[in-house]
Amino acid sequence: MDFVLTQLSGFGGAFYALVADPLTYAYLITSVFLGITFGALPGLTATLAVTILTGFFGNKIPLDYSLIALLGAYVGAIYGGSYPSILLNIPGTAASAATAMDGYPLAKEGRGGEALGLTTTASFIGTLIGTIALLVFVWVLLLLSKNIASPEKALLALFGILLSGTLMSEDLVVKGWIAGLIGLAMAMVGLDPLLSEPRYTFGWSYMLSGFQVVPVLMGAFAVPQIIEGMRHMEIGKMAQVKGRILPNFKSVKRYLPTITRSGVIGTGVGALPGVGEDVAGWVSYGVGKTVSKEGDQFGKGSLEGLLSSETANNACIGGALIPLLVLGIPGSPPAAALMGAFKINNIIPGPTIDPEIILRVVAIMLLASFTMFIMGLFTARVFMKILRIPQVVFLPIVMVLTTIGSFSVGGGINDLYLMLGVGFVAYFMNLLKFPIAPLVIGVILGGLFDETFRRSMLISGGDIFVFASRPVASVLLLLNIALIMSQIPFIKRAFGRLRGKAI
Amino acid sequence: MKISITRIVTAAVLATGLATATSAQEYPFRDITTAVVWGAGGGTDSINRMIMAEMEKHLPVSINVINQTGGVAGSNGMVYVQNQPDDGYTLVGLSESNVTAAVQGGWDQRFDFWYPFIVGGSPDLISVPAESPYTTLQELVDAAKAAPGTIPAAASGAGSIHHLNLLAIQNGADAEFLFVPYGGSAPGQEAAIAGEVALVVTSLAEQAALIEGGLLRPLAMLTEDSAEIGGMTVPSAFDIYDGLDAYLPLKQAIGFAVHDSASDEVKSALGEAFEMAIASDVVAEWAAANNYDVGGQYGEEAQAIFATLEANFAYTLQELGATTVDPMSLGIEKP
Repeated sequence: MDFVLTQLSGFGGAFYALVADPLTYAYLITSVFLGITFGALPGLTATLAVTILTGFFGNKIPLDYSLIALLGAYVGAIYGGSYPSILLNIPGTAASAATAMDGYPLAKEGRGGEALGLTTTASFIGTLIGTIALLVFVWVLLLLSKNIASPEKALLALFGILLSGTLMSEDLVVKGWIAGLIGLAMAMVGLDPLLSEPRYTFGWSYMLSGFQVVPVLMGAFAVPQIIEGMRHMEIGKMAQVKGRILPNFKSVKRYLPTITRSGVIGTGVGALPGVGEDVAGWVSYGVGKTVSKEGDQFGKGSLEGLLSSETANNACIGGALIPLLVLGIPGSPPAAALMGAFKINNIIPGPTIDPEIILRVVAIMLLASFTMFIMGLFTARVFMKILRIPQVVFLPIVMVLTTIGSFSVGGGINDLYLMLGVGFVAYFMNLLKFPIAPLVIGVILGGLFDETFRRSMLISGGDIFVFASRPVASVLLLLNIALIMSQIPFIKRAFGRLRGKAI
Repeated sequence: MKISITRIVTAAVLATGLATATSAQEYPFRDITTAVVWGAGGGTDSINRMIMAEMEKHLPVSINVINQTGGVAGSNGMVYVQNQPDDGYTLVGLSESNVTAAVQGGWDQRFDFWYPFIVGGSPDLISVPAESPYTTLQELVDAAKAAPGTIPAAASGAGSIHHLNLLAIQNGADAEFLFVPYGGSAPGQEAAIAGEVALVVTSLAEQAALIEGGLLRPLAMLTEDSAEIGGMTVPSAFDIYDGLDAYLPLKQAIGFAVHDSASDEVKSALGEAFEMAIASDVVAEWAAANNYDVGGQYGEEAQAIFATLEANFAYTLQELGATTVDPMSLGIEKP
C-alpha cells in the first residue's frame, strides 16, 4: 500500500513539475502539432516523426524536454493518421489503415465531422488507457525484471525480432525473418561487446562504433517513404465535412465496452516487442468484427469499427513504452526511435532506470493526450488544409530534415552515406515486399541478442541448457520454437502425417 | 582535396586574422568550445559542463560544451579536436578510458599529444549482491581460490578501468575470477543484482544509489582509504592484502585537455582559471554529492598520471589480445 502511495505522490510531483514549467507547453504544443501534421500527411509516419525529432533534439536539449517533444509527436502522429483515412480513404500512417475501413464510408455519408469527433475522443481515451497500463505494469514488471538475466534477455530479443518479422510481413512470414536476420547481421558490425575485438570493420575506424541507430532508422523509414511518395503522387478526392467536430459523448457512452476492449487489446499488442500500432489497429478491428453484435456492419461505416481501430492504435503507445522502459526492448517502431534518444543521452532503459524518468514519461503522456484532444477538436480544420499541401512540396522538405537529423547525432559525413545506403536497400526491399520494421528491430535488438546470448554461454561454461533450465527462459524458449515451427511447411506436414498415423 | 581546402581556408582565416587582430590581443578573446568525446549525460559530460561553467566565471569569454562521440575509445572526438588549430579555442573533454584509442587503432598519437587537466574521478570498489553469501573480501577471495576461474565477476568491457581494477585485485590477492564483460557499469550492476554474477567492480559514484537502496553490499574499496556510504564504512582492500599497492590504485581521471602544442600563454590562462574553479565551493559540493574525489592536477603532473594509465591500459589490452597496434611501436614503455 505504501508503495502505491509513494508512486502516486511521485507521479503527482512529476506531473506538477511538468505543468508548472512554462517551457513544457512550448514543446508540447509544437510537437503535438508537428506529430498530427506528420500523421496526417500520407507517406509520413509516426516512426518518421519521432526519428526526425530524435535527430534534432536527441542530444541538443536536455532529455526532460526532448522526451516531451518525442512523446508529443508520437501521440499526435498516431492520432493524425486518422484524418486522411477518413477524408481521403488513404491511411495517413499504417496505424490508421483499419480506420479507413469505416471512416471513409462515414465521410461519404456526410458524417465526416461526427467520425472525426469520435476518433479524436477514441484516440484520447485510448492514449489514457495505455498510459494507465504503463503506470501500473511498469512497476509490476520492474519488480519481476530483477530476475531477468542474460539468458532471458537473449531469448526475449530473439522473440522480438521473430515476432516482428512474423506480424509485419505482407505476404510470406519468412521474408520478415530474412529482414530481421539482415538487421541482426548489421548489429554484429563493430567492436565485439565481449572480447573488444573488431568485427566486419574492414580496417575502417568508422565501422568500429558499429551502425548507429539514428542513421539506420532514417535510412530505413524515411528514404523509401520519400522515394515512394515522389513516384506515386496520390491526389485523392477529399470528402466534404459538414457540421462541427464535436465529441459525441452519447456514442462514446454507448460504445464504452468497445472502447475499453480496444484499449486493452491495443496496450497488449503494444507491449509485445517490435510490433506496433498498425498491428494493434487491425487486431482490435478483427476482434471487434467477431465479437460485436453489429459485426456485419463493419466496413460499411460502422462507428464501432472506427472506435475499435482508433482506440487501439493510440492505446498501443503506452503499451509499447512498457518493455522499452523496463527491459530496453522497444515495443513498436516509433519506440525504437525513442530508444535511440535514450541511448544518445546515455540512459540505459532497464531495471536500474531512474524511476523519475518513468514518472515523467507517464506525466508527459497524460499531458500530450490532453493536448492532442484539445487540438483535435479546435484545430481540425487546420489539419484538413494541410492535407491539401501537394507532396512535391513537403517530401523534399522532409528529405532535408531527415538529412540534417541524421547528421546532427555526431557521426559525421559517413552517417549520411550509411543513411543513403540503408535507404536504397530498404527501398528495394519494400518493392520486393520485404518488411523494413523487422530489419530495424533486428539492428536494435541484434546487439542485445548477440551480447546476452554469448554472455550466457560464457557464464554457463558453454552449456546450451542454460536456456532451458531457468523457468522464465524455458517458457521463452518454447515460445520461440513454437513461433518458428508454426511457419516451417516441412514440420507442418510432418506433424500432419504423425497425426494421421496416430489416428 | 578536403584537406587542401581546409588548409586554404585556415590559411586565409589566419592571414586575415593576423592582419586585423593585433598581436597584443590576449588569449582568450573569443568563445571557447569544448568537445566532449563521450555522450551527453554521462560522467565525463556532466563533469565538463560543471567545470566549464565554473571556469567561465574566471575567463572573459564563455565556453560552449558539445559532444563528439563515436569511434574507438572516443577517437572521433579526439581526432576532431586534433584537426582544430592549437590556439586553445577548442578543448577536448575526456577521461582515462581514452588512453586506449591509439593501441586500438582509433588514432595515431600518444596521449602526450594533450596537455590535460584532471577534475577528478570516483574510486572503484568491489561489491556483491545483497543476498550474497560473502560478507567480506577474504571470504570471496578464499572461495575464488578454492575454485579458480569459476566465480563470475562483472566489470565493464575488456580493458576498461573497472576491468583493470578487477585484474589488479586478482593479481594482488592471488585469486582468479571468471571475468564477464558488460557494455557499461549499469548493465554490470544490474547483472549483479539479478544474481547473474557473484561480484561487480565499478566506481562508487555508479554504485552509490544501489548500495544506499540495499541492492548491493560493498566489500572493499580499491583505494588506500576506506569510504563512508549508506551509514556503512567500506574498508580499504589495501588493509586486507599487503601486496595490493603494487597494482593499485588505478583511478578514473576525468577532465579536459588542450593541444600540448598550444602556446604557454594559452596553457597558463587555462591553468589559472582551472585552479580557481577547482578551489570553488561548487566543485567541492558537487564532488561530495556525487562521490567523486577532486583531482586538480594539470600540465606535466597530469601528463605523468595519464602516461601511467596509458602504459597500464595498453599492455593489459595487449595481453588480452584486444590491441590492433603494438604499444611498443607507439613508444609506450612497459610499466
